[in-house]
Amino acid sequence: MSDRAMLDWPADADDSPVPPSSWGRKAPTAPVLPWVFVALVGVLIVGRYLIAPFITSPALQTWSTIFVAICVQALPFLVFGVLLSAAITAFVPASFWTRALPRRPYAAVPVAGAAGAVLPGCECASVPVASGLMARGVTPAAALAFLLASPAINPVVLVSTAVAFPGRPEMVLARFAASLVVAVLAGWLWLRFGRAEWLRVPRRTGERGWRAFHEAAQHDLLHAGGFLVVGGLAAATLNVVVPRSWLTAVADVPWLSVLVLALLAVVLSICSEADAFVAASLTSFSPTAKLAFLVVGPMVDLKLIALQAGTFGRSFAARFVPLTFVLAVLASALTGWMLL
Amino acid sequence: MAQGLVLLLLGGAVLRISAFSTTYLNYVKPGFRPFLIAAGAVVFALGVITLVQEWRKPHVPEAERARRAEHAGHAGHPDLHADPHTDGRPGEHAGHGHDHARGPRVAWLMCLPVFAIFLIAPPALGSYAAAREDASPPPPRPEVVEGYAPLVGDKPIAMPIGEFVGRAWGDPKRSLTGKQVRLTGFVVRSKKKDTWYVARMQLNCCAADAIALKVAVRGAPAPPENTWVEVTGVWIPPRSSKLPNGTVPPEMTAINVAKVPRPAEPYE
Repeated sequence: MSDRAMLDWPADADDSPVPPSSWGRKAPTAPVLPWVFVALVGVLIVGRYLIAPFITSPALQTWSTIFVAICVQALPFLVFGVLLSAAITAFVPASFWTRALPRRPYAAVPVAGAAGAVLPGCECASVPVASGLMARGVTPAAALAFLLASPAINPVVLVSTAVAFPGRPEMVLARFAASLVVAVLAGWLWLRFGRAEWLRVPRRTGERGWRAFHEAAQHDLLHAGGFLVVGGLAAATLNVVVPRSWLTAVADVPWLSVLVLALLAVVLSICSEADAFVAASLTSFSPTAKLAFLVVGPMVDLKLIALQAGTFGRSFAARFVPLTFVLAVLASALTGWMLL
Repeated sequence: MAQGLVLLLLGGAVLRISAFSTTYLNYVKPGFRPFLIAAGAVVFALGVITLVQEWRKPHVPEAERARRAEHAGHAGHPDLHADPHTDGRPGEHAGHGHDHARGPRVAWLMCLPVFAIFLIAPPALGSYAAAREDASPPPPRPEVVEGYAPLVGDKPIAMPIGEFVGRAWGDPKRSLTGKQVRLTGFVVRSKKKDTWYVARMQLNCCAADAIALKVAVRGAPAPPENTWVEVTGVWIPPRSSKLPNGTVPPEMTAINVAKVPRPAEPYE
C-alpha cells in the first residue's frame, strides 16, 4: 500500500502539517498506543472484580443490561451486513447491477424493494448493504427501497410474525403489503424530490479483491458500529425512563393508539425479527395499532436513525426519516382499515 | 492503529461473554451463541489484520494514508463528507476531510459496551425491571394449552412460570386445580401487604424486549427482593371470571418457599 500512497500524493498539499509527519520514521503515536491498550485491558480486568461488585443501583443495572443487550444482539446482524456489503463492493462487478435491475430508475425502485425479501436479516444488516449497493452504482432511490423493505418483508421476519399472531394470517399479509408499499413510495418520492447533495453516497476505490474487501469491511464496521452504540444508548435510556403504564391510557382512542405504538416502535428499537412478539403482547391495542408498530419499527427506530445519519449523512436522515415515518403510519392505517 | 485496537477490544469482549462464559445469557436468547461467537471472531480478526498491516509498514505515516483515502474516496464531495462530530464547526473540517486511516471518531463509542460489560457487569433483568413492566404476555392459544403434559401424581410438579400462567389463563379444563406445583423465579414486591410475586422475564430476542411473567404468592412471608426462590404451592382459581385474562397475575397459596442459587439461564 505504501507505494500507492506515494503515487497518489496530491498536488494540493496546502493543508499538510509542517513539517509533514512523514519526515519521521514512525508515526508519533505508534509507541504509545500499545501501552495505553495494555493498561486499558488491565483496568477492565481489574475493574471487573474491584468496581463492578459495588455498582448495585438497580436502575443503572437495568439500563446497562438493556444497552449491552441491544448492542450484543445487533452485532451479529451488523457484522453479517457489513461483510455482505464489503463482498458486494469487492467482488460483484458494477455491470452486474445494471443487468439485474431495470434501466429506468422508476422501474428499478419496486424491483429493488421486492428484492429485499431475500436478505434474511434485521435492519442493522440492511444499512451497510444499501450503502454498498449505492457505492456500486445502484440508483440511490432503489437502494433506499431495498433498505426499507428488506428488514420487514424477509422470510424470517414473516415467519416470526405468523408465529406471534397464530390463526391471523391477514396480519402477515398486511405487514408485507404495507411495508412494501411504504418502501416503494419512499423510493419514488426520493427519486422525484430528492437532491443528490442531501445524500452522502459512500464512494469506494476502484480496487477489487481481498484488500478492498478488508478495507470496506473495516471502514463500515467502525462507522456503523459507532452509530449503533449511539442508537443503543438512546433506546436503552428511553426504555428505562418511559413507563409502559402511559401506554394503556391511550389504547382506546383509535387514531392516537396508532400514533403511540408507531412512536413506541421508534423508541424501543427492537430487532425486526422479534418485534412481532412484543406487538402481540400489547393486548389492549387494536390490530391496526399493532400493524403500525410492525411497519414503523423496521423502517424508523433510534438505532436505525443513528446508523442512517452516520452512513448517509445528517442532511439525508433529517429528510428521509420523517418521510418514512409519515408514510409508514399512513400506510399501516390504510392497510389496517382495509385488511384487519 | 487505534481502530485496530477498538476492534480488538470489542471482538475480545464479545468472545469473552459468549465463547468463554455464559454471561451472554443475561442479554440474549441461548440460540444466539453461535452467531455471537462468529461475530466476535470476525471483529477480532479484522482488528488483528488491521494491526498486522499497520505494523508491517511503520514508516508510512497516518496523515499520508488519510490523504490517499480522502482523495480516492471523496473527491467529488468536498463539503459533504465531514465527520459527523465536526459538523457545525466549519473551521475545523474545512479542507481537512474525513480521516479514514485513523478511522471515524464515532468508532471510539464502540468501547462503551465493552466498558459496560467489564465495569458494570450488567446482571440479568431482575425485580426492578419486572416491577415497572406492566405489559403481560398474551393469553396462550389453544394449541399451546393442549400441548401441556397432563399433571399426574401427588408430588409437586415443577413447571416454568410461563406454563403456569398459560394454564391459569387459558386452560378450559382448569388442570391446575388442586395440584401442587413448583415454580422457580425471583422475588418482586407487591403493593398489597400479604402478597408478593415470583417472577421470571421472558425474552423473544434480547433483554430489550423482555416481558415479565408474574405469579402472586400468598400465605408466606416475602423473602428479600430479587432473591431466587423455589415456591411450592397450589393455584387459587380467580373468584370472578369478569376480569379479562392478562390484567391480573394468577395467584397461588404457598406451601413451601426455598432459596435457590440463580439458574444459569435467567430468562424463560
